[in-house]
This record gives sequence, C-alpha cells and structure tokens, in this order.
Amino acid sequence: MKIFKDEPTIEFMGKRFYAFAFSGLIILAGIILLITKDFNLGIDFTGGTMIEVSFKDDVSVNDLRKLLSQVGHGKSMIQRIGEENKFFIKTEQVFEPGKEEAESTTAADKHEGFTGEIKDALMSEEERQLNATDKLDLNDASEKQMMDFLISRGIDGDAAADAAKKLIGITSENTSGLITSFSEIEKIGLPAPVMSVLKENTFLGSFTFLSTESVGPQVGHDLRGKVTRAAIYSLLGMLIYIGFRFRLIYGLAAVITLLHDVLITLSFILLFNIEVSLPVVAAILTIVGYSLNDTIVIFDRVRDNVKLMRREGGSLILNRSINQTLSRTIVTSGTTLCTVIALFFFGGEVIHSFSATLMIGVIFGTYSSIFQSCAWLKIWEKKLLGRKKT
Amino acid sequence: MSKTLGWKIGIIIAVLVFSVAMFYPLNEKIHLGLDLKGGMHLVFQVETEVAIRKQTDNNVQRLKNRLKELSFKFEKVVRRGDDKIDVIGTLYEDERALRDIFDDEFRTWTYSISTDRITLALKEIEKASMRDQTVTQALETISNRINEFGVMDPVLQRERDTRLLIELPGVSDKEKRRVMDLIKSAAVLELKKLEADGFETREAALAQYNGVLPDDLVIAKWAAGSDRKGYTVLRAESVVTGRELKSARRDTDEYGGAAVSFTLDAQGGKNFQRFTSANIGKRLAIVLDDRVVSAPTIESVITYSGRITGRFTVEQADDLALKLRSGSLPADLRLMHEQIIGPSLGADSIRKGIVACGVGLALVMIFMVLYYKGAGINSIIALLLNMVILMGVLAYLGATLTVPGIAGIILTIGMAVDANVLVFERIKEDLRAGKAPKSAIDSGFKKAFVTIFDANLTTVIAALFLFQFGTSTIKGFAVTLMIGIIASMFTAVFVSRVIFDLVYSGRKKLQSISI
Repeated sequence: MKIFKDEPTIEFMGKRFYAFAFSGLIILAGIILLITKDFNLGIDFTGGTMIEVSFKDDVSVNDLRKLLSQVGHGKSMIQRIGEENKFFIKTEQVFEPGKEEAESTTAADKHEGFTGEIKDALMSEEERQLNATDKLDLNDASEKQMMDFLISRGIDGDAAADAAKKLIGITSENTSGLITSFSEIEKIGLPAPVMSVLKENTFLGSFTFLSTESVGPQVGHDLRGKVTRAAIYSLLGMLIYIGFRFRLIYGLAAVITLLHDVLITLSFILLFNIEVSLPVVAAILTIVGYSLNDTIVIFDRVRDNVKLMRREGGSLILNRSINQTLSRTIVTSGTTLCTVIALFFFGGEVIHSFSATLMIGVIFGTYSSIFQSCAWLKIWEKKLLGRKKT
Repeated sequence: MSKTLGWKIGIIIAVLVFSVAMFYPLNEKIHLGLDLKGGMHLVFQVETEVAIRKQTDNNVQRLKNRLKELSFKFEKVVRRGDDKIDVIGTLYEDERALRDIFDDEFRTWTYSISTDRITLALKEIEKASMRDQTVTQALETISNRINEFGVMDPVLQRERDTRLLIELPGVSDKEKRRVMDLIKSAAVLELKKLEADGFETREAALAQYNGVLPDDLVIAKWAAGSDRKGYTVLRAESVVTGRELKSARRDTDEYGGAAVSFTLDAQGGKNFQRFTSANIGKRLAIVLDDRVVSAPTIESVITYSGRITGRFTVEQADDLALKLRSGSLPADLRLMHEQIIGPSLGADSIRKGIVACGVGLALVMIFMVLYYKGAGINSIIALLLNMVILMGVLAYLGATLTVPGIAGIILTIGMAVDANVLVFERIKEDLRAGKAPKSAIDSGFKKAFVTIFDANLTTVIAALFLFQFGTSTIKGFAVTLMIGIIASMFTAVFVSRVIFDLVYSGRKKLQSISI
C-alpha cells in the first residue's frame, strides 16, 4: 500500500497565503471567543473542590441541583459523565472556608466543609435515619471500617479482613463503584456468621463518592506561574536546540510554527469548552514537542536540499522537501492519531480532556508542519540560501 | 550468520531478559500511583512563621521578666511583626549593662538602642534554622502518628522547604475526618492549676480581675464535647506538659467510659508530685490544644500517672493516646491540596487503560502491516520490544505508574514507530531511485539516524520541562513518554536493522524486499 505512487509534486509554497489566511481565521475566531467567554479553568488553577459521585438509581442533573440548592450549593457546576449515573460536582469553594478559628469546631469539622455538606444533602430521609442508627452503610465505608465493624460485631479478625476485602472487591468490579444489592454479596461466598451480621447490621446506600479533590487558591496561583514558566522555557529550549543544530532562522520558523499550534489548540479548547486542567497543559506541551518533531524532519530535508540544489530557488527546495517527507509525515501522524483516538474513546473520563486536546494538537501539528513551517522559512529565503555556514 | 550479527542478537536478548527480569511479576514490581490504586493525597503548608511568632512571644515574656529583675525602667515590651520585639519608653542609665544582657542572653537576636526605644530582631540565620527545625519536627511527628495508625506504604515527603506531601494508599473519603484530625491536631497537652471556673463569656472572666488579667493567668475555653461549657481562668505556668509524658494509652474511667491514661517521666513525676501535694482539694485543668478537656479535683498526691476523661468515644480515646505518644506538632498545618481516590475508580482506570492500550496497539499494528507489509512486521517486533523495555526501565527506576503515565505509554506506541517510519521511507526513496535493496537498507538506516535523533530529542526536551511541573501525576506522563522515545531509538534503529539483516542475510542476491 502506498499513499503516493511516486514522489508527490504538490505546490505547497504557492498556496502558502491560503494557509496563512486559514490559520489566521481560526486564531482570530479564538481571540473573539476569548472576548466573549473565559477559559473553563479546572480547580488545579482556580482552586476549589471537585467531587465525582456515582448513584445506584437514575438521577438527573436537575434532581441533583435541587438537592444541592437546599444546602446553598445550587450554583455548583454539575455535569453528567457519559451515559452512566455518575456526575462531577464542582465549585470554587475550598475545604477551609473563612476564618481559621471558628468557634467550637475541631480541625476535622472545619475540614469536612464542602464535601461533608454535599454528602448530607444527597442522602435520602431513609438513609439519614439509617445513618443515625449504628448500622453501617457498605457503600460509604472503607475496607478498614468494614473490617473494624465486623470485628466489633463478633467476627474474628481473619474472617473480617477477608470479608472486607471481598466487599471492596465488588465495588471495584462494578463500574458504578457501588454494591447494588445484597444478592451480589451472596455470590461472593462469605461464611454464614458474616452474612448474618451484614444482613442485620448493614445497608446499601444509594450513592458513593468515587473521588474528591480540593485545591487551595495558593496552589492554583503557584501552578499558573509554574505552567507559564515551563511553557516559555521549553519553547526557548527548543529554539536554542534547533538554532544550535541547524541555524537560527530554522529555529525561528519552528518556534513560530509551535506558537501557531498552541494558539490554534487554545482556540479549539475555547470553542469546545474543554476544561483546562494540569493534564491538558501537559497535552499542549506534548503537542509542542510532537509538532516540532514533524517540523524538524522536514527542515532536515530542507538543509540537505539546500546543499544539493541551491541554485533552484527557495520555493522549489521547500516544496521538494515537504513532498519528499510527505508520506512519512502522514504515516506517523496516522499511527499517533490511532493511539490518541484509542485513548479518547476507551481511556475513560479521567483523561478525556487530555486526549481531546491531544487529538486537536496532533491534527493541527501535522497540518502546521506541512503548511506553515516552510512557509515561514520562505520569508527568510535569502538567508536560507546564503552560503554562510550551512 | 556473521559474527557481529551474533553479537548484536546477544545484546538484544540480554536487554530483553534484563527488562523482563526487572518487571516480572508485573503487579509487584510496578508501583501504582494513588490515582490507580486509590488513596489519599495531601499537601500541607507548615505555618513556620506562626512558630516564629510564638518563639518571639516567649522572648517578649522572658525579656520583660529579665528587665524587671534588673529593675530597668520601661513602659512596655511588645512584639512587632513575627520576629521583632520593641521595648518602648526605656529610661536606662547603664547602657553597658543592657548590652551585656542582650549579648549574653539574647544571642540569637540583633538589637538597636535609640533614645526611647530598643528594638530586637531575630537573626535571619536563626529564623532559617527554626523554619527548618519546625518542618523536620512536624514531619517526624506526623510520621509517628501515621505509622501507628497503620497505613500500608505511606509516603511522607518534604516538598519545597515548608510543604509536606503525604500519600496514604487505601485511605478513603470515609476515613477523612479521622485521618485529618490525626494529622492536623497539634496535640499539645498541658496540666495547669485551675483558678476559677464557670464564666459564660471571656468578658465575664475578665471582670473578675477588673478587666486586666494578671500576667501569670490565662483564660481558656472548655473543649467542645466536654461536660462543661464557657470559660475558665488558669495559671499560665504549666505543671506538666506533653513533653514529659512517658506513655499514653486508652483506658476506662470509673463509669466505664473511654479515657486516656498516661505516665510521666522522672522530671515530670517530680514536678507533679510537688504540685499535687501542695494543692490537695484544688482543681487541676487538663488542657489539650488550649481547650480544657476536664478539671478534676486533686484528692491525693499523684506522682507518675494520671488519667484524662472527657466523654470520649473509644475511637477518640485511641487517637488521643496515639497523638500524645507521638508528640505534638510544632506549628499549624494549612491544607493546600487534597485528593481522595476511591478503590473502584482506580480499578476502573486500570481496566480502561488496558483496553485503550490494546486498541491503540492493534490499530497501529494493522496500519503498519497494511502499509509496510514485511517491514511492518519488523516494526511491530521493535514496538513490542520497546514496550518490554519501557516496563523494565519503569520498574528499574522505581517510577510510579499513574493515569497520565498510562496515557504516556499509549502515546508512545504511536510515536515510537515514527523512527521506523523514517527509516522505511528513506529505504523506499532509495529503492525508487534505483538502488539495490541491500544498499538501500544500508543507506536508509544511515541517513535516517540523524533525523531520528534530532526529532526525538525535541520530544525529550518537552518531556523534561513537563517533568519540572513537579506534580506526581504529570511526572508519570513525562517519564513514560521519555523512556518510550529513547527506547525507540534502540528498538527502531538497532533492533530493526538486526531483523533486516537476519531476514535477508542468507540470500546471496537480494532482488526485492517487502516494504
């Protein structure tokens, strides 16, 4: 199989102004979007709390909002995850609100703050009553708590540890993270005395927190600085490396191409309202490396071809170089795209925005290597063809 | 087979065996991050400046007493900022004597004397060492508490001077309250003489002393959950402090409720005996973190042991005993970042990671075989070897595999074949130009190498800067990507070449190659 039977002879340089216009339009659209709305920054950057909660039964976003508004958190962001009964609840409120020395509360009380309030709000009346008794909610107990509970009900240590492990095992098997019914517990083959303790003294709550995260505002602030520095240093580092391995104009053209990639990716992040979290920033930096990789392969050819065919002029050299490497560029972005698509569709919610950003970046990183990098080199055509130091 | 080819195959087998030995068995050798195995991740800021302020406060008191003893006249001694002491309205006759005191007894302070004011400032070097000491001590205390609490493989690290990173695998959202209390409580125990009790407000207590509290007294609130409410007046001086404890354990009080009993060391015992024998019939306040927990009446002389009661649950009594045993925190901790991942989410992430990995690998394999035929199989062998090396190096480095780390592996699958693609395209080009297959393979590898090196190095540079981010999850991504890319230089260049040689070396006259 071949993409091109022979070496292709596509006239890229002649179309470079279309490419400039195309990219310019996307970036302009991004700037206009930025005026009308802000980036959807994750709690990594803004500080705040994020809860991932899973329900046993069908619940709608509106139901949740109603419950949350009863405790004054109606304005939290609530987002359904996929098709399941799982939701993200996000707010900018952090764990230790307000004054450090609230009267008559312990450190732990203050800490419980937001996540504790949400947990209370989500409970049904029945669950609240059950919780007030000394029955244990198996969907709201850790392995250690289950074990301690069983021991306190007269089960011996080893049997209790084994049972607790198996019970947690059920929650890990189910994607919901919940034990849905006692029949599931019956299937795992627990000894009769354990079973009877469980039946009489425990119940199955209607939801569980899959994960919670709270970030203090200071951390978010620190992180922004760190991210900016990392981005600037890595661009500088690459400029220096290419300047050193090639020549400065190659470095400049490459860095402009990279900036272009970053701007376009940011525009799409705005457009699709992708949440900018730490992994998304990591994705953008990865794209920078990836796109540069493509660009360097082409520039490497340009450097060779400049030596071979200096007289034939910049456009011809640049066109030839792009065409010679075109099938490689397409194949590599093809395989990379394969894996990014696998990541996007099968990798799960945790890294969804990460893989979405990568997908945009790989597509436009490939586009820019072909249509942008050499177009920028063309601007410094005279320097490029100059005899000094190749 | 030539001799050099034999050597090369030997190297490849050695690398393969070494890698497998490193990561086998997989579930023991590869460390999973908290986002995969579930647990609690905490970052605290140690409030070292508060510790410095406390130290300054102590010195204000010390200086005041000293000046009084030597009958220097002054209006007042106050703390300014966290680390300065002002003596205001001084009328000193003997500056020499004053300087002697500062030089001898306040060596860690710099001072300046002007006509109506003396200012002492804590030396920078002293502050730095205090900060350091505070954090070290906090780390030690928390480490003791966590170890006693019984968490498997906890991680406790100092991050950037004054931050502590704590990772507690297996601890879930449900235990947060207890764990937080265990980590954050200062657990400063003081036994003090109770002077007066039963005030509803602080003001009511103050009114007893006409609004000005004498220097040797303090007002303290009853702890939440204890059987009394309101405020008490205590002697400022502690009879015994938590530092003089030898041991503490859960016990039961006379009514069968949970309590904590403790024994004192020799010095503490001596002080306690002296105090109790002089104060029979008076009340002793047991103060925990500036709150009065209980205040029993002293009925007889006590020497080495005592008991703290205060309506504890069994769990609370256990934890209090644990905290008292492991010592008090030298400064408050401020929570900066907290992440709790439940066990089911971690398991789910692993499942999804494996599926995405498998699908990605399958797609790339199909693509490569369809496109490069025989050479495609060559690149698949190289890719699989790359994965083996990647796991081996991860295990060797003791690196932690996280969700972004798995993403890094998946991305590596797509990017690592790039080196193969570069070589194959060069070979194709040379074949098109009419070169003989064998020399096309030769020049293809040779020409592509520089490009592969330059192109991959930029990805490595990007990964290096990512690594600088410092957060453990992103580090996981950067590390896997970096290892994968570097390994691809070995597998796609060295190994693929050997495979070509192996496949085609037997034939005297090579007509065509499958590419």
